[in-house]
Amino acid sequence: MVLALLVLPVVLFVVLIFLWPVARFLALSVDNSDMSGNLPRTIVALSQDVPESGLPSEAVFVALVEDLAAAKRAGREGVLAQLVNQRLVGTRFLIIKTAKDAADGKLDMRPVRESLIDRHSGWSNPALWQELSRQKGAFTDYYLLNSVDLMRGEDNAIASVPPDRAVFLDVLLRTIWISAVVTVLCALLALPLAQAIVSAPPTWSRLMFALVLFPLWTSLLVRTVIWIIVLQRNGPVNATLMGLGIVGEPLNLVYTRFSLYVAMVQVLLPMMVLSIVAVMRRVPATYMRAALSLGASWLTAWRRVQLPLILPGILSGGAIVFVFSLGYYITPTLVGGPTDQMVSSYIAFYTNNTLNWGLGAALSLQLLLILLMFAFLFLTANAILKRRTAA
Amino acid sequence: MKTYLRTISAMALALSASTLVASAADPITVVGWGGTWDKAYKDGVWDKYTEQTGTPIIQEEWAGEVAKVRAQVQAGNVTYDVVSVEAPAMEIGCAEGLFLPLTPDVTGDPQNYLPGTLHECGVASDTWATIMTYNTNVFKDGTGPKTWADFWDVEKFPGKRGLYSQAQFTLENALMADGVKGEDMYKVLSTPEGVDRAFAMLDKLKPNVVWWSTTTQGIQNLDSGEVVMSDAFNARITNEVVQEKKPYTIVWDAGFFYGTDFWAVVKGAPREKEGVDLLKWFSIPENQAGFSKLYAYGTGRKEAAALIPAEWAANLPTSDEHIKFATAYDNDFWTENKEALEERFKAWQAK
Repeated sequence: MVLALLVLPVVLFVVLIFLWPVARFLALSVDNSDMSGNLPRTIVALSQDVPESGLPSEAVFVALVEDLAAAKRAGREGVLAQLVNQRLVGTRFLIIKTAKDAADGKLDMRPVRESLIDRHSGWSNPALWQELSRQKGAFTDYYLLNSVDLMRGEDNAIASVPPDRAVFLDVLLRTIWISAVVTVLCALLALPLAQAIVSAPPTWSRLMFALVLFPLWTSLLVRTVIWIIVLQRNGPVNATLMGLGIVGEPLNLVYTRFSLYVAMVQVLLPMMVLSIVAVMRRVPATYMRAALSLGASWLTAWRRVQLPLILPGILSGGAIVFVFSLGYYITPTLVGGPTDQMVSSYIAFYTNNTLNWGLGAALSLQLLLILLMFAFLFLTANAILKRRTAA
Repeated sequence: MKTYLRTISAMALALSASTLVASAADPITVVGWGGTWDKAYKDGVWDKYTEQTGTPIIQEEWAGEVAKVRAQVQAGNVTYDVVSVEAPAMEIGCAEGLFLPLTPDVTGDPQNYLPGTLHECGVASDTWATIMTYNTNVFKDGTGPKTWADFWDVEKFPGKRGLYSQAQFTLENALMADGVKGEDMYKVLSTPEGVDRAFAMLDKLKPNVVWWSTTTQGIQNLDSGEVVMSDAFNARITNEVVQEKKPYTIVWDAGFFYGTDFWAVVKGAPREKEGVDLLKWFSIPENQAGFSKLYAYGTGRKEAAALIPAEWAANLPTSDEHIKFATAYDNDFWTENKEALEERFKAWQAK
């Protein structure tokens, strides 16, 4: 009971400050209420309508004018206009101006259909009505489909988006690939370093350990921006290469995949080293010595004795580095080029820049699912490993 | 428990006391574009207002997202009083009733404004331009690019180019490089073929582009030699040249586009009335000229131009010397097409 009370603040904090807002944002990926909630009468009228000459009948137009007038009075027509314009470009002012006229009672003349089209000819566009007739309920799969380069085409069938807009699957694969490469590079660099830290005499060991930790206490931003300065055209790396006569003219090092890998590995390496060192410290040095004295070469001894014992450390380090990498945003933005951007950068773009929060949420959901999937994979691998060592 | 309660109530008291004090001082929250722009406004305009009226101004920074204002108005919790917005956002915000309409007794006679600098709901805060600039240490003695076609010509003018990482500005520049004149720009860009044509031009330059997304980054790329030429906002380049003595020149006659940002009062703002007073004061030519004197962007009132020293006025996009090479950004076009084109641009960049 007391324990429950003690834990309560933490649980409340996590739920209120973290889980609830995240869930709210993710819900936006299927939310259509700003569309359906502002066009209730139109949606009902459209569902019962038999279109004449490509356009809906009078009843639908009457419903539309009522809906838009209500939206204007509630101050919701701007959101509606933005959403419609997202789906069919060039309709923003049509909605805003029609809503204003509707609220001012300028669209009451019968027949409403003709007088509305007369005043705002945009309403004679069948494509617009096709979009509106798709808005059936409070939920939509528009954003989720969009986030995997799909859309609803003619007859509501699922189709691929045009190639000039298809980008998210590429970005998703790229994100996983970059994270995997960074994880492998970190592991390769961390293994000898961790071995050195563990095997060195205490003073040296402590010094090396501190050197690994120092970068962790430095701001991520600083560690990233430093690489722009180091790798730029007139930076020290290029100056050295030119000075030694290795290259004739400066290399393009920054704003490339190369600079992204360098910066990400540098930022994430301490995580891997810490995980491996923690496990390595628990492995008695006598094991290796025993293997060597029994005639194994150093490499064989390391591979057959040391490596299996520290594998859990590599695995947990790998999980941390990989999962961190998946969500990387600042580093790719600053030191990567446009073809090195990862999912997070698109989430930020849609959330802040074009205010397409539905798509931002759908991409976030995608990232979260990938993350959970890999977390599950790592946990399973770890469990298998444990069972094998126990057996 | 008792001490806990006492602490809480003491804190609550302190909090309410501090809100009381805050409302006694009553500053106006003015939201601008940050950085050197905000500083020029503070030094050239707002400090003078505080001096004359005793009303302090709090400056906040944003990226002009009209959705932020909309969210505040809908939630009935407006924290911004006066904001500077780009023209397309002005159109949307005014049409939606997020901004207060301004009468001529606030803004003064509309006839005294330069075209496009007065809006039903706002007065121009600044008229900016996106120009071409290059490093005169790389291209010496006038051997630099003279047209946007030159900017695209990597054979004749080798080196990387900086371009602003967004569709607006970049598509226009690409079409200028393809020979489209300013006055025909939006006729071309309004057709799907025109947009494809702009992207086809960008395809050609893509391997030689270093994209920038903040002005500081763009200038850093010029400084470090990462790029030899770039597009840029004119005032930032003028600042670098005049104050930091950097070797850049602006190629005005290559053609450039300009746009206007507006000051608007948010409807239902806590200091709505004072916000209108502030804009009334700002509409006096002497007061608004304070900004252009420090920052090479134009203002709305025609009379303000005469108050700026001729030597400095020559740096403004609206100067007689420059305006003949200029075309205005089409606000209607960008209001409707912004999101779609920015999304396509982002997808194009990623390939």
